[in-house]
Order: sequence, then C-alpha cells, then structure tokens
Amino acid sequence: MIVHHPSEATLAAYAAGTLPEALALVAATHLGHCAVCRTTLSTLEATGGALLEDLPPVSLSIDALDRLIGQMDRPAPPPPPVLNPDLPAPLNRVPLGRWWTIGAGVRYRPLRSNGAAWGGLVLAKPGRSLPRHGHAGRELTCVLSGAFADQDGTFAAGDLSEPDVDHDQPPMVIGAQACLCIIASEGMRLRGLLGLAQRMIGR
Amino acid sequence: MTQTPQPEGGPDHGALIQAIAGQQDRQAFAVLFGHFAPRVKAWMLRSGVNPTAAEELAQETMLSVWRKAHLFDPARAGASTWIFTVARNLRIDALRRERHPSDLMPDPTEEPDAPAQADRIVAMSQQEVRIRSALSLLPPDQADVIRKAFFEDKVHAEIEKELGIPLGTVKSRLRLAMTRLRAALGDLA
Repeated sequence: MIVHHPSEATLAAYAAGTLPEALALVAATHLGHCAVCRTTLSTLEATGGALLEDLPPVSLSIDALDRLIGQMDRPAPPPPPVLNPDLPAPLNRVPLGRWWTIGAGVRYRPLRSNGAAWGGLVLAKPGRSLPRHGHAGRELTCVLSGAFADQDGTFAAGDLSEPDVDHDQPPMVIGAQACLCIIASEGMRLRGLLGLAQRMIGR
Repeated sequence: MTQTPQPEGGPDHGALIQAIAGQQDRQAFAVLFGHFAPRVKAWMLRSGVNPTAAEELAQETMLSVWRKAHLFDPARAGASTWIFTVARNLRIDALRRERHPSDLMPDPTEEPDAPAQADRIVAMSQQEVRIRSALSLLPPDQADVIRKAFFEDKVHAEIEKELGIPLGTVKSRLRLAMTRLRAALGDLA
C-alpha cells in the first residue's frame, strides 16, 4: 500500500520531460508501484497531447515527407539491454557503477545518468541512517525494499519521499531488513560520509 | 475493428496509427504526417529549438511513429497523447542528451495485457477531447503554469523566477489546474 507520492509539480515535470534524468528515474520507479500516480501521469500526458493538438501548425519544407520515405524501411533501433536483472524497470536498463562503502552498514552505487541531477542506489542496514543532502534543489528517494522513517512518516517499498523542507534528522532504517532505495538530487553536496564518497567518485 | 468516435469530425488518428501497425499503410502515414509534423515542429520551436533542428525533430518523431506504431495502445492513450510522448522523448535526447525513463520500459507487446476493451478505447479518445475543452476554461494563471511546464525546457525553479512568484505558488497553481482537469475527466480518469 503506497502512502507517500511525488508532488503534482514533479509529475508534471516528468510528463513534460523537464525533470532531470536521475530524478525522473526515481519518479519512474515510484510510478511502477503506484496506480494512482500512473493515472495522474496519464492525465498530464493527455494534457501534453491536447496542447500539441491546439498549437498553430508550422509548415515543414515541401519535400519533408519524401525525405523520410527512404528511412522508413529501416527497423527501429532495439531497446537498451537489461543490465541489472535484479532491479525493477526502468532501473534494470540503466548503467550503474560499482558499490562503495560509505559508512558502517551503508553502501552506495552511483547511477551513470546524464543531466543536472545525480543519483544512485543506497543500501543501509537496520538502525542506520540514510544520507540526505543540504537544502539545495529537489531530492527524491524511492524505497525498493525494506523501510525507513523520518519526520514525514514511514516509507516502505514503492513510497516516494520528496521533502519540502530541510530535515534536521536523517531518515533511519526501521525493521529487521536492510533498506534499498534509489535516490537522486539536484543538491550540490551531500552531508556526511556520502558527501565524501560523492567527491571521491567525482559526481 | 471497433469504431471509435472521431474527435471533432476529423480523421480518426488512432485508427490511422493502427493501420500503420497492421498493414504498413503509407497513405495513413501521410495523413498523420500532414497533421502532426507541423504541430510537433511548432512545439519544438516554442521549446527554444532552432528551426533546422525543429524540422529534423518533427521528422524523427514521425519516423518513430511509423516504426513504433505497433506499440501504440488505444486503450492506454489517445493518438495525440502518444505522439506527444514520442516527441517529448526525442526532444530530451536532442536538447540534453538525456533519456526519458519511458524509453527504458519493457516493450508492452512483449507482455500482452488483456485485450483492449472497446469502451476503454472510446474513453481514451474522449479524454483528449475533454482535456482540450477543460484547458480552454482554466483561469489564465493556471493555464500559464501548465503551458510553461510543457512548452519550455525549464525546471520549476526557472518558471518561478520568470513569473516572479514563489515556487509554492507555482506548485499550488499546478495542483489547482490538475484538480480541474481531473474533474473534467470525471469517470474517464
């Protein structure tokens, strides 16, 4: 049962294609779990379709269609291969770096994504805290397995955390299972050990 | 094939995409090209793409429509909505060398769903019609935030700066707009 969802602003940016890639991957992971947000997304994409439909057309050159004909028989390029079969779509097709230990009981595996945001997988043992950045830009976290808790409540598989304000307390892993999350941020610097690792890894 | 209602009496674009998927119908493609390529070009120009690139992206979008027509599912999205998502993904790739997560999703034809129900297909083409009319009735400040989100390659922080309103206001206008769009969809959402 999903309790925590992305804001409408985040889903709108996802639908419009303006959400930076790493953040969009976290949002997509949540969408894979959440029928409510998939419905909102479909309304937003239909809004994009309606806006496209209502635009005053701008003519292409006269031979634009003819120039396409020659390319039409070539097949579409195949989708990217599955690189991480243990992860849900779309994360299974995203290149990931190796695991880095960034503290006692906390490991980090960076996403090789483009764009203004960066992110990766975080795996933390029970009782450990998850890294969180200082207040600069958007940050999204989606739980893949296990659970954590912070001022906004408890987050389990599929829940998405989009903190509005800077939290004083870092999120803590609760329960007996380790917590695996996908995180992404526009923030310049992370706090603490992940911040150090981030500088070492160079992202 | 099931007859679907034609929005505003024009050709049924969804049926044309299916004709490409089923019979590589080049006539159908030419009709779709005539309708959508100039709109996709207009959209690209508004997002700040130069005219040459806008023309190329409009062509690439239509080429993808031709090649991916078998992925179009009229029970999931109307024709304009689907073509919008194809164009959006190409635009991100061209502008920012980024990939949209929907391009990393498994091919829906590889995991067949239950066969599309006729009423679901009707609902999706109705959805576009209802959203168009709801958009035209939005208060100007809400319509402005929606248009900026879709027409400009800008993150919300930049919209905030440009409109001179706090980010919280951008977010709440979007929320209000979404509430109205959802209400317009009613039972279709």
